[in-house]
Amino acid sequence: MFADGLFILFTVIAVTGAAGLVLFKHPMNGAMSFIVTLIAMAGLYALLSAKLIFAIQLIVYAGAIMSLILFIIMFLNIQEEDLPVEEGRFKYLIGGAIIVAPIGLFLTRVIKSFPGAEKTITVEGFGGIKEVGLILFREWLLPFEIVSILLLVSLVGAVVLAGKRRMVK
Amino acid sequence: MIQSYLTVSILLFCIGIVGVISRRNVFTVFMSIELMLNAANLAFVTFSRLHETMDGHVLALIVMAVAAAEAALALAVVILLHKHKGQLDTNVFSLLKG
Repeated sequence: MFADGLFILFTVIAVTGAAGLVLFKHPMNGAMSFIVTLIAMAGLYALLSAKLIFAIQLIVYAGAIMSLILFIIMFLNIQEEDLPVEEGRFKYLIGGAIIVAPIGLFLTRVIKSFPGAEKTITVEGFGGIKEVGLILFREWLLPFEIVSILLLVSLVGAVVLAGKRRMVK
Repeated sequence: MIQSYLTVSILLFCIGIVGVISRRNVFTVFMSIELMLNAANLAFVTFSRLHETMDGHVLALIVMAVAAAEAALALAVVILLHKHKGQLDTNVFSLLKG
């Protein structure tokens, strides 16, 4: 199956990028690796026939948010000597993996009990802009408005925090 | 099919937790949190595909908006702390603890 091959490809790319994010020492390498993960996850959304989420993942996440993070990393001009010393990094990573592994195994056991929808063809227009928009503005109107207030608050907060001129020293 | 997508979601979430608890670079910790949000998004979209309703897509959109707000605020705080301390170590930033 073509879709299965694409799924395996996107999964391998996503997991490799995520591992790179955790393993790279410099945050710039980690951010580049994370962008690869985000693009592969957009492919997974497309395989799940979520067209709007696919586009928004590429435009907003991989485009806007990650370029903001990359901009800040370059703005701070981080050199090798500015990075925190992490000699026992791999020891901590292996320890963290050992701690997290039981949770992951438990969740894997949980999802084994779910019924699987095997390759059913979705309804007409599943995940398109019009259908998702109708649900968003009919049934999820209040959360949508609350999110708009949250964005306004974070905008004002970011301006107040980062753009503060120090009058009193 | 559904199980394999959820397994990918669990795998990415566990990698995110490992990144948060074992790294000390503040940017890596922040991007690991973003990775965990993305894994949750993948689970939302997968369940939405399973039940053939689009509520999961709306929730994924809201999670993305929250992630954008979080990115703006967290990066402002990082800039401020870097101005004060000149370092990117999360141990140095423990002055925020109560």
